Amino acid sequence: MSTKRRIGIADTCFLIDWARYRDKDILFKIFDLVFISETVLREIKSDLTISWVASKLAENKLALYTETDDEIEEARRLVLLSREIPHMISIDLPEALCLVVGRRKGFIVLTENKGAIMATEVFEEYKDVIVWRALEVLLTAHLERKIDIDCKNPLKHFRGYQEDTLHIFSNKDLDEVRKRIEKEICR
Amino acid sequence: MADWDFINSQPPKIREALKYYVETGDLYVASKISGLTIEEFNELRIRARIPNVD
Repeated sequence: MSTKRRIGIADTCFLIDWARYRDKDILFKIFDLVFISETVLREIKSDLTISWVASKLAENKLALYTETDDEIEEARRLVLLSREIPHMISIDLPEALCLVVGRRKGFIVLTENKGAIMATEVFEEYKDVIVWRALEVLLTAHLERKIDIDCKNPLKHFRGYQEDTLHIFSNKDLDEVRKRIEKEICR
Repeated sequence: MADWDFINSQPPKIREALKYYVETGDLYVASKISGLTIEEFNELRIRARIPNVD
């Protein structure tokens, strides 16, 4: 049995939406540790998010990640590369940094940025980086039975996330996760 | 679905940042245009009823 710890690194767009979610602590049933960069910490302002982040830092469920100069330089190169490719959704420095750290350390990158997801498909160097959105985090919580599952309403938690964050999953994605939950959990 | 009355009633930087977000979905750049942090801008996005669509 594998004892490898599951470690993530979250960018700002993931964290600020996730912090609004009613069942946000599910994240720590899936991850042993989630890093956030100092940049992410500077971007959060609301009482709700600061309170949640501070308490999870104190519990060692979240941890602060300070990027090296070398990682920042690689991320800058990645940002420029993304701008040079036609039809590529460009990425900005924060999510580029997460991709760089994810690649170097083997962390799962938590982001909602479409460019970051595309970068793992376009750039050979980043093809092994695992990128999860809230959708994949919630799906994993279901498949690993870390969340109560109502087989009569398998999308209950996804709908709840949408209500709390006004982050709307595509019908195609919702259909796929429903089928996986029904096939693997609600047989 | 977006509340355009709310969007158009905002000061110019905020208004244009919200419009930029509607067009691109790029939260990072939109927050820079607005002069707000990403989280502050995201709160405005929700108040403006602009969905973040996958």
